Amino acid sequence: MDCASHIYPDGSMGIHEMCFRVLEKEIVALCGPNGSGKSTLLEHLNGLLRPSSGNVTVMGKKLDLSHMDIWRDVGIVFQKSDDQLFAPTVLDDVMFGPVNMGMSIEQAKVQALDALKTVGAEKLSDKMPSYLSGGQKRLVCIAGVLAMKPRAIAMDEPTSDLDPLHAEMVENIILNLKNEHGLSIVIATHDMDMAARIADRVCIVKDGSIIVEGVPSSIFYDKELLETSGLRQPKVVQIYEGITTNLGIGMEKHPMNADDLVKTIAAMIRHG
Amino acid sequence: MSELSPHIPDIDLITFYSEKGTSLFSRISPWTKGLMLVLIILFISLDKSLILAVCLYLVVLALYGLSGLPIKKLFQWYAMPITFVLSLVLILMWNEPGKAIFSLDLPYFSLTLTDNGVLLLLTLIFKSLASVTYTLFFLMTTRYDHFSAIIFRVFPSPIDQIFLMSYRFIFMTLKMVKSMLKALRSRGGGLLKSTRRQSKMFAEVFALTMIRSYDRADRVNKAMEARGFNGKYIAVTRIPSIGFGEYFTMFVAATLMIYLIWFVKLPF
Repeated sequence: MDCASHIYPDGSMGIHEMCFRVLEKEIVALCGPNGSGKSTLLEHLNGLLRPSSGNVTVMGKKLDLSHMDIWRDVGIVFQKSDDQLFAPTVLDDVMFGPVNMGMSIEQAKVQALDALKTVGAEKLSDKMPSYLSGGQKRLVCIAGVLAMKPRAIAMDEPTSDLDPLHAEMVENIILNLKNEHGLSIVIATHDMDMAARIADRVCIVKDGSIIVEGVPSSIFYDKELLETSGLRQPKVVQIYEGITTNLGIGMEKHPMNADDLVKTIAAMIRHG
Repeated sequence: MSELSPHIPDIDLITFYSEKGTSLFSRISPWTKGLMLVLIILFISLDKSLILAVCLYLVVLALYGLSGLPIKKLFQWYAMPITFVLSLVLILMWNEPGKAIFSLDLPYFSLTLTDNGVLLLLTLIFKSLASVTYTLFFLMTTRYDHFSAIIFRVFPSPIDQIFLMSYRFIFMTLKMVKSMLKALRSRGGGLLKSTRRQSKMFAEVFALTMIRSYDRADRVNKAMEARGFNGKYIAVTRIPSIGFGEYFTMFVAATLMIYLIWFVKLPF
């Protein structure tokens, strides 16, 4: 995304001179307050929106009228699962994308069942979407995109409104998609804890632009930056900062998840 | 829809029974049940006898009851078809040829209710109840994935597409209405204060549902476009085929229908 801007028909600015890139097999977390432009950015990656100015290039294809099939390469999982599930049964819904790609019914069915298996939802194939729990719906939404075998997936708030168990499942699926399937994943999220745990790179989005980007351990330890961006530090960072401040010692390490935090504290205790 | 009124068929309850699928009739091929529905509609269209209409209704009611479906709910749901039939027949039943039972003289014309007028009223009520009961029986004993696959195979595009999309949308819209009504009731909005106040409240709910449905439809459309929607989507569930016994039952039913309608003379 090269200095891309998007202005909505009502004149409001979606993104403003946004410069953004995603590498292969990378998880990028877009963190920012509501209305900062995260979702607008995601919709550009799938070709749902086209920039008012600037360029968006996906897999070497410039997003314009000659390349309207970016959806084949970049899937998008929406924030509200109910908006994404519209077919009579789970299997029909997951097959929707592959069929649109021109696959035969049999081939689409195989890919759909394979995608459902990847997210651990193969038993739901003949269920009606209306009667699934929120967590199950999210898994089916991810399967619906995965069945198209995209090279990158954009996810809008993938763990919002989920119970801890399903949120953890979704996190594991995201990591699995990157590690086992080699996908690039872009996540728009307010969940700083999840971003700290799984992201390779974090972009802070404010007023339609990326104001800073970097590895989680540098971004999430910059308290001032996060506060001015309307965000909070992840719990792990807050706890670690609290402990080191109380003890009056410096932060030599930057733990980003509960395991690292426990190891760091244990080492601190051992070394007095 | 039980949130709104017990007299409106509850789509959640209907789906619960259809997905549970424990009755004997749930195991019958959906094609058989669908064809029997066609036969019943034909019977209702051709039959002129009240006795046959009552018999048909009792048979269908027995099927419904034997399937373990909720009878009390069914009688509550009859309110709508009966209201519909009455709204038409209460106009049509006057001045039918036959023996006069009651007459009402008005300034420029007179209204006479005859025995044939009453028979017309009763026949149409029983016919409508038979068709409603069988339709509910069909819906409540047929899994939705089978039902949608039948629609997809039988109806041409875009009728099948409209059905496949609207069914899911109905669920979402009803859910929305339910949560809005709950929110209203939680703050005392459901209490009947005055007809004007109540009407205003329902108008607001209706308007809000329209606006939110439009908004949601826009988001659903976006989600479909994101997966390359090209104007067509499919239902792939394999529908259980018709067994020999079911073919035989349909043959007997069709023969009986022809015999009863054309060869049996009944008093009314």
